[in-house]
Amino acid sequence: MLKLYPITFLTLAPSITVSMIKTFRQTILNLHRYRFLSWQLVRSNLVGGYKRSFIGLGWMLILPIITVFTWILLNGAGVVDPGDTSIAYPAYVLLSTSIWGFFMELYRTSSKVLTERGRMVVMNSFPYEVLLMEKVIVHLINFSIPLALNIIVLLIFGVKFQWYSLLLFPVSLLPLLLLGLGIGMVISVLRVIAVDICTLVDEGMKVLMFLTPVVYAPKIETGWLAFFNKYNPLAYLISFSRELLINGDFYKTTAYFWCSVFCFFFFYITLRFYLNFSQRVLERIY
Amino acid sequence: MSEQAAAILSVDKVSKKFCKDLKQSMLYGMIDIGREIIGMRVNAARLRKGEFWALDEVSFDLYEGEILSVIGTNGSGKTTLMRLISNIFPKDKGKIIKRKVKRVTPIFALHSGINDVLSGHENIMLKGSMLGMTKEELETKKDFIAEFSELGDSLNAPVGTYSSGMRARLAYAISIATEPNLFIIDEALAVGDSAFKAKCYDHLKAYVKAEPHRAVLYVTNRVKKILTIADRTLVLHKGKLVNDTTDLSAALEFYINNCLKDLPPHIRREHLQLIREYEG
Repeated sequence: MLKLYPITFLTLAPSITVSMIKTFRQTILNLHRYRFLSWQLVRSNLVGGYKRSFIGLGWMLILPIITVFTWILLNGAGVVDPGDTSIAYPAYVLLSTSIWGFFMELYRTSSKVLTERGRMVVMNSFPYEVLLMEKVIVHLINFSIPLALNIIVLLIFGVKFQWYSLLLFPVSLLPLLLLGLGIGMVISVLRVIAVDICTLVDEGMKVLMFLTPVVYAPKIETGWLAFFNKYNPLAYLISFSRELLINGDFYKTTAYFWCSVFCFFFFYITLRFYLNFSQRVLERIY
Repeated sequence: MSEQAAAILSVDKVSKKFCKDLKQSMLYGMIDIGREIIGMRVNAARLRKGEFWALDEVSFDLYEGEILSVIGTNGSGKTTLMRLISNIFPKDKGKIIKRKVKRVTPIFALHSGINDVLSGHENIMLKGSMLGMTKEELETKKDFIAEFSELGDSLNAPVGTYSSGMRARLAYAISIATEPNLFIIDEALAVGDSAFKAKCYDHLKAYVKAEPHRAVLYVTNRVKKILTIADRTLVLHKGKLVNDTTDLSAALEFYINNCLKDLPPHIRREHLQLIREYEG
């Protein structure tokens, strides 16, 4: 007979008590073991999503073109006064919104991963990391095609790229990826049990785009907006990647470095949060 | 089951609690996460307002070569027990020990993980990988899956065009191809035509004896099925294990009498008559 204590306490799950190395090691092992599932989910997502569409993968090109034309029209009408930008405004907006979209879309998809795919995990029992891997791969595929389009558009607007800019630009987006995924993981858990909070966060993320220098140049920041963006990591992360690609400049490198360090630790903590609590919240709805 | 057979699964005083009210459950979820984040322990042994034991100190062993059926009325805790054994949900109390079990394959809903717009062949890869099979395993097993499911050319068509019976064939064939040590079937064979179900029962009986360290947990409410395939039966009622016996007829009688005991006598008599007529 096993000895049972009169009062049994839940202890923290291993994923929240183990070290950073063990957490990442276990995650990598799970992803490696289920790599074929990740690929199948990506394939299912992309192929399945466009199988009933006549335009199909063409949407990946059409949507960014619509976006840039919208901004060209707004600029031509004088509705938007963007401040002093180093390149033509439509190109500036195209690239800025593209970088912002990289962050925001990753947040959006990862923050819904448990509510959309939770039932699948509950019914089939595979590691939760696989769901995130699918979202990241699909996101990178969806981002890289419009990015290539953006580069072509920028060339048309007369932007000359440095070779190192093109090489370093994808690497420079890594902190944004970790930040978007990190916030998304926390919200995906909370979205199951705290719908109201998540609705507020979703709305807050939309407002954040207009507070962060995405559609305007950092130079027009004044008053409280300047103060806000001084402590807004997104301002540095987005501006660094944008300046790197457009001018070949390393914008506020020290701030970017510390923001990157912050993103890495933030990702680690949120990964543990996601791994530890996903199971606990899903049992409340399935 | 012979006394020499080894237990490949031991469930020891396992309990699980849930909350009846959804909003209350969400609130408890937030409180528990908050407490754990700040390092405070959550007392899992205590029921809070609105909570109940979905499973209450359930204990049993599952031996190799055994098909163990689990019966009980709706809400008796059968699926919860299977989810705890599959490690899908964490238990609140007790222990679950698996011995020499390399793979557990649970089937809770045959259509889960199946993509309607993809073909049968594509879904074999998708669902198979979901159940933990590697690309190499699936390449070697896909012919078996096609043959066992007997779907022929239909495997080239989108699964959305399949009948529920065809989906059951496909999903069951993929699941059994994983060659699990512990195979958990939760009402998954409720659909499908009689010939395919008979084939599955036959296959299960042979499968479980073919290799060591194999056993099946079979959850159902259809009592007639149990006599066909099970070696032993557990009866769950309101989260408690109320009967564990190899005398299947006695277990069924116990189940039929117990599952209705809370009903008024005249309704209970009517229900009993119907159960005996259709299921007994």
